[in-house]
Amino acid sequence: MKKHLREIAVAGALVLLLLVLAFAAPAFFKPQQLISVLTAAAPVLLAACGVALVIIARQIDISIGSLFAWCSVLAGLAAARGWPMPLVALVAIVAGAFLGAINGGLIAGLGLPSIVVTLATMVTWREAMRWWREGEFVRDLPTTFQWFGMSQTGGQWLLLIIAALVFLVLVFALKHLAGGRFVYAVGSDAEAARLAGISPRIVTFLLFVLMGALTGLGALLGAIRFADVDPKTGEGLELQAIAAAVVGGVAISGGRGKLWGVLAGVMLLACIAPALVFLHIQPQWERAIQGAIILAAVAADRWSGGK
Amino acid sequence: MTTTETSTSQPGSKETDKKRVPAFLRQFSTILLLVIAIEITIFSNTASHFNTTGNFLEIIRLSVEVGLLALVMTPVILTGGIDLSVGSLLGLCAILFGKLWRDGHLPVWLAAICTLLIGATGGGLNALLVTRLRLPPLIVTLGSFSLFRGLAEAVTRGVDNFTGFPDSFLFLGQGYFLGTIPAQLPVFALVAVGVWLLVHRTVYGRAFRAIGFSPEGARFAGIPVERRLALAYILTGSVCGLASLIYVAHVGQAKADAGTGYELLAITAVVLGGASIFGGVGDVHGTLLGLAVLAILRNGLILSDLPAELAGILTGVLLLAVLVGEAVLKKLFVHRSRRLNTQVAPLNPLNPPA
Repeated sequence: MKKHLREIAVAGALVLLLLVLAFAAPAFFKPQQLISVLTAAAPVLLAACGVALVIIARQIDISIGSLFAWCSVLAGLAAARGWPMPLVALVAIVAGAFLGAINGGLIAGLGLPSIVVTLATMVTWREAMRWWREGEFVRDLPTTFQWFGMSQTGGQWLLLIIAALVFLVLVFALKHLAGGRFVYAVGSDAEAARLAGISPRIVTFLLFVLMGALTGLGALLGAIRFADVDPKTGEGLELQAIAAAVVGGVAISGGRGKLWGVLAGVMLLACIAPALVFLHIQPQWERAIQGAIILAAVAADRWSGGK
Repeated sequence: MTTTETSTSQPGSKETDKKRVPAFLRQFSTILLLVIAIEITIFSNTASHFNTTGNFLEIIRLSVEVGLLALVMTPVILTGGIDLSVGSLLGLCAILFGKLWRDGHLPVWLAAICTLLIGATGGGLNALLVTRLRLPPLIVTLGSFSLFRGLAEAVTRGVDNFTGFPDSFLFLGQGYFLGTIPAQLPVFALVAVGVWLLVHRTVYGRAFRAIGFSPEGARFAGIPVERRLALAYILTGSVCGLASLIYVAHVGQAKADAGTGYELLAITAVVLGGASIFGGVGDVHGTLLGLAVLAILRNGLILSDLPAELAGILTGVLLLAVLVGEAVLKKLFVHRSRRLNTQVAPLNPLNPPA
């Protein structure tokens, strides 16, 4: 119980918000409304899980948003060429993994600080996208693209099922597989992990590849919600994902964090915007409230944790 | 050569490191000067109006806001911290300045003073959370990054726009002394000299470095770590206020999106200038050189009719190239003495509190 205190606190805050909504705006709980909140949160969840793993291993990735845009556009272009959907999904995931491998190679291979490397790749990829597409949407996508060619409800369900499956696999792997434990080992003490026979470099490199692949999948799930692909998509996603991970109890100093907490963090931040609408508060308060929640979460962490 | 225990080779390699690092840093600013020289040579040939005094003053004029942020970011990064909230704080200060002047009916000078105080308060919030609660600066300023920008959006409801400032105020961002010297140049020079003196000629600068190398060690050496850290963040906040005034005077209006992305440009300039993101290493003239590299690149590309996006791409590539070059050079030098000691370089950029 005490071990999960942090995660329970976030989940509690989420439940509180939902209770307030249940009394003040029951319309929020219409199935269609809930599903649309969840489908919008699913891509963020995948990116947040990826960055949570990276943070647990004591690194950080702020290039997620730019990777997201590249994966979305490449998937869109592949679909526009008439490639079958499984191949389109593969394009998004492989593109993400490749871009993640570049980050990982520079960080793990050369030992460069991850925050600076990903700052550089974030700017480079974002500007390269702007140069290449000049803000032009990917249009004329085949009907098989949006909602995987199904009805909106069917597509939404398939999207949620994919996200949930990936999430559960990650939760299981992080807790029960040796590779998952390596992540915590490297994040707690890279030198001790090395002496125990784990290569911190390889673990770090693979984590960035995984981070990229998850971003690619997230980009695909984000893109299929619309009829065309916006090359500006994903701007600010990196901070959203990091914020969700931190609110969910992932320690920025590495070695601590659970994906359940990340899920609660993602949902808490994702519910704010619709909650504001339903409670008739100006939607412009969203960013300020998110910022306040981040600060409150880490501050509460310090007060309750002691250390 | 050494085939025995690594423990015997470690003290030796540390000594060689000590000798090498300052020498390398001296090379570092030479590399930047070289980059600037190359940029100037190329752009002089590709853009007809590039190589003029007027244009060089213009380059400085256009980079004053980011430059101010980069200058005060230097002490923060020296302490091993980071401040992601500067761009958002600039935006918040800008619209609160407009609000105080237009809706609060304050005279411009009083509104300006209030803006500086608001900036200092914003920096104070960061300082409070970093020092009192010992939270990692990256997370604190990530939170205040959202908070400040969000407050700016909430105050303006996303649409309000402050314009019509008096000419005497707009002179600060658009006027020229003697017809040539941009009005914001003296302000920038003053802050640059001030920050340089603070970092390189006072005990405060020494304290920043010491904290960056080891907060615990600095504490044992009798340095009031909390107060020095607070100074760095509050100084950053106040200069955000100053930069917001220049920004508003420069573009003639205050909107909630003022200064978006400036934090990344400022950090890029500091890191390009040779500062270590882990803290302890870096200097103010390095930051100014890094800033010059970025500003000349952007200006030259635009004057050469090349797309502005290329400037962004090259900024990122340049940053990576400098880092990779530094890492490769270090590896080449340290390789022999540390053949057996294949430690991963310090991986944690976040400087966790002890």
